[in-house]
Amino acid sequence: MKTLLTFLIFAVQFGAIAQEANDILNKVVTKLNTVKDYTVTANVKANIPMIKILPSKATIYFKQKDKFKIVSKGIVILPKQGFTEINTFLANKKSYLAVAGDTTKIGGVMTKLITVIPNGESSEIVLAKLWIDIKRSVIMKSQITTKTNGSVTTTYSYGDKVNFGLPSQLVFEIDVKAFKLPKSVAADINKTTTEKKIKTNNKGIITISLTDYKVNTGLSDALFTKKK
Amino acid sequence: MLLKNTYNEFIKILSKPRSYLGIGALTLLVGIIIFAMKADGRSIISFVTSSFEQSLTFNGDVLNGNLIAFIILQMLIVHIPLLVALVTGDLISGEAAMGTIRMLATKPISRTNIVLSKFIAGAMYTLFLTLWLGFLALFVSRQIFGTGDLIVLNSDGLVILQDADILWRFGLGFCVAFLSLLTVSTLSIALSAFAENSIGPIVSTMAIIILFTIIGSLDVTVFDNIKPYLFTTHMASWRSFFEDPVPFSTIIKSIIILVVHNIVLVGIAVYKFNKKDIKS
Repeated sequence: MKTLLTFLIFAVQFGAIAQEANDILNKVVTKLNTVKDYTVTANVKANIPMIKILPSKATIYFKQKDKFKIVSKGIVILPKQGFTEINTFLANKKSYLAVAGDTTKIGGVMTKLITVIPNGESSEIVLAKLWIDIKRSVIMKSQITTKTNGSVTTTYSYGDKVNFGLPSQLVFEIDVKAFKLPKSVAADINKTTTEKKIKTNNKGIITISLTDYKVNTGLSDALFTKKK
Repeated sequence: MLLKNTYNEFIKILSKPRSYLGIGALTLLVGIIIFAMKADGRSIISFVTSSFEQSLTFNGDVLNGNLIAFIILQMLIVHIPLLVALVTGDLISGEAAMGTIRMLATKPISRTNIVLSKFIAGAMYTLFLTLWLGFLALFVSRQIFGTGDLIVLNSDGLVILQDADILWRFGLGFCVAFLSLLTVSTLSIALSAFAENSIGPIVSTMAIIILFTIIGSLDVTVFDNIKPYLFTTHMASWRSFFEDPVPFSTIIKSIIILVVHNIVLVGIAVYKFNKKDIKS
């Protein structure tokens, strides 16, 4: 009888935690869903070991539910994941299980940790940790682990488009320890001495400042299929 | 008299079919590279960037005229010495082989000036070849592929240079590449002064370049002391203009070494030609 009671209490408690997490996520998703499309100017600063690049500018186009396009005059380096994946993943409520965790302060804002675990094996995302500002229903920080690309930690800052859940700055922290250069191409004939390999940091930081948002202007689908 | 003789020497170069062989070969090679890059350039680029693309994406036109020009320059700068030596290696020994060296020496011009005029004529041909390469690599590629930022891969990683920051690098890079080829030209003229036939200096020049390149590329500490003094080590210094920041002190050192090579080799050619027995 005692065991059954303990089990029931535990089950009710877990159910309550899951319900709380789902409620928080629902508010975030609802907010993000108010954005049908947007255009934004991105200033990208990449500080990645073994890559030297000056800050570059690009225009980002997004349309629900997963249409995404980047147009830039020069070369822009962006993280492979982190822009739309989490939004698309969270939009399908049946595909994951959410569990609420601790509360933490991030950038002076009180956040709630929500751990999201996919239900199926087919999902590219293995685990997502989201630190959510409950008051504003926006993601303040995320840590997404995928099957193929490892972990990416993203810190969000918000400006005047916080009502849409659109950030004004994203800071991506990427694992870069796997970078290897093809020896045949990278051979530098100009080097006259035999040198030992230089140890590099294994974290890359990409900071994207987003300005001039144009939200819900009715972007056409053709924009995402046309070549630049 | 030096200028007149230089003009004559240049006319001699232009009258030889082998002079056009180099230009033709260069045009064909660049054409093949441009065609290959147009057909399958993306996969070649992804071979370089694949390691980074596990966690990053490169947006924008990576495959552009600037990159093609860089690839062409990198591929061909190794082979152009042969095209240069093919013409310049014949300048003195060709006269000996044809028996015109005696007539040349009877002209009212010193032997030193004869060698200098041949050196200047060879330098003009080398300059033309470099300019032709520059035109094909940079102008034609940019017309076909358009312009854009340049991704350069070196042993330290990737350097991405902005479009507006590239042309001056190519300009200076071609100047240093010309100096490198001029060293090859001078080497073959110097060797030509020792020979009585055309094949010897041409083959010897290429043999020296291959030998020095192999020594330079061997990752063995025993050669570390001689590598900085081999001219082949500095033949690739044009590439340093595509580093960020540009290592100007290293480039200047390379230029000095190449210029010293040119002076010494011209000196050897002048000395040998002045001592050359043309009567037998």
